[in-house]
Amino acid sequence: MKQLRKYWIIAALESASMVGEDSLFIIQFVFRFLRVVVLLSIWRVLFAGQSVVSGLTVEALLTYTLIQEVFAEQLLPRTDIEWAMHDGGIAMRFLQPLSLVSQFTSQMVGRWAFGFAFFSLPLLLVSPVLGVHPAPASLASAGLFGLSLLLTIAVGVGLEFIFAALLTHLEGSAYMVARVRTALSLLLSGAVVPLALMPWGLGEVFQWLPFASMASAPLRIYTGTGDPLTLLTIQAVWAAVLWVAARWLWQVHREKLVSYGG
Amino acid sequence: MGAVPKMKTLTRLLRLWRMYAWLDFMWITRSAQQSLLYFTGDAIVNLAALTSTLLLAERFDGIGPWSKFQIIFMLGYAATATGLLDIFCGYNVLFIGRRLGRGQFDHTLIQPQPLWMALLTDGFNPFGASSAFLTGLALTVWAGGHLALSPTSGWLALFGLNLIASAGIVLAVSFFWGSFAFFAPRAAEEINTPLLHMFDHLKLFPLDGLGLGMAGGLLTVVPVGFVAWYPCRALLGLDPASYAVLLTPCAALLFGGLAIWMFRKGLRHYERVGSNRYRDMGHRG
Repeated sequence: MKQLRKYWIIAALESASMVGEDSLFIIQFVFRFLRVVVLLSIWRVLFAGQSVVSGLTVEALLTYTLIQEVFAEQLLPRTDIEWAMHDGGIAMRFLQPLSLVSQFTSQMVGRWAFGFAFFSLPLLLVSPVLGVHPAPASLASAGLFGLSLLLTIAVGVGLEFIFAALLTHLEGSAYMVARVRTALSLLLSGAVVPLALMPWGLGEVFQWLPFASMASAPLRIYTGTGDPLTLLTIQAVWAAVLWVAARWLWQVHREKLVSYGG
Repeated sequence: MGAVPKMKTLTRLLRLWRMYAWLDFMWITRSAQQSLLYFTGDAIVNLAALTSTLLLAERFDGIGPWSKFQIIFMLGYAATATGLLDIFCGYNVLFIGRRLGRGQFDHTLIQPQPLWMALLTDGFNPFGASSAFLTGLALTVWAGGHLALSPTSGWLALFGLNLIASAGIVLAVSFFWGSFAFFAPRAAEEINTPLLHMFDHLKLFPLDGLGLGMAGGLLTVVPVGFVAWYPCRALLGLDPASYAVLLTPCAALLFGGLAIWMFRKGLRHYERVGSNRYRDMGHRG
């Protein structure tokens, strides 16, 4: 526990800074909530007159969408390392007596705590009013979802450092890298449209990509619409591969970093 | 205003747009590698944004009462409207809360032109931000061909008017909310981000079937329905009301008026208290 204290302090600082500096935070959650309500309505329109499409029932689809929004930050984890590289803050990170991965991950978790308390929990509580059943398919699904979520975070953080290394290599724009990363993740992960609903068998191809190990896999486990063993195995393999790649790429490129500011 | 001052204003606007276009051109062509990366990245972002809805339209052969090509037309329209904003309101003119919240508004105020002219011109970046506009235009024309539209000059004029109105509504809502940064610079610095993200996300779906209350809310409180859904309904003849094609331009006037009122209110506050967040090294300095 003592070992964890330093990470806890970083997370708590990050969480508290959001409360202190962003007093209009509630507005962004109102906007997000509105988005969820509209998305749920759109699925109902699409499924009108059809109870099952591509093996997905409308109930499972609504639960999928709701849980995706509840765990949106965990399913598409962002450390914001590219912004630290953009504003020069990365230089200060190298001076701190903690590894970069643990610093950025702790901060990320701190941000989650805030969003989880003020958006995710209230959304879960009002889900029956929205006509959505928020419970997992079974107790086992809930447990395996937790494990899958941990693997999602491992895959996501690995991708973050790979993109950061590419950003250094290409001397590109942090803004552009962040946008491309988000756009690809949203499309290929099944976060917005479940892979099973994609035409031309695209979903069957996408499910083997690392992005699908971020949103699609845990959500399919939660809703009982995928084989947990296969999904967890794919996630574990991607987590291992991406971490090896991230470590290598980062070691090669971090020496090329030139920073000013922060 | 007489004819000569009007011409002078127009000439000045054109000169400023030309100057900012040149600066943008110089920026985008500073390095072949960076240009390639930038355009590739921008193309990926814009296509990915539209792809989810395109895939759904293909999978379900349309969405609700909209056929597949009507959806594509709507997506093209949405991207073109967004593209207009990207081209004319770059450099955080659209995200005005950032300029205000970071104490950068003085940079705009000291320009040797009226405030409206500075805001209308200094975000002009036609080369770096043309991707969404061109993608949208191509999709609209393609879908229009499949829908067997036979546009008259009157229809094209209404299309253009609605397009400008849709972009104007997004800008107006952004300025309305962004003006909170005059009063709470730190808290409202990023207020435009979740707002515009929500717009970006919801503009891609037809809002039929949402129920009167929800659809009404999305045309009034948060008028995302005017970004593409409602004007496209009108332009494609899905709304039988004869006034439908004029509703978006009228709404643009209303939301524009609200935004100007809110912005002026904030500006008066700013004239009294200024900003304590200005840093000569920039906001990330």
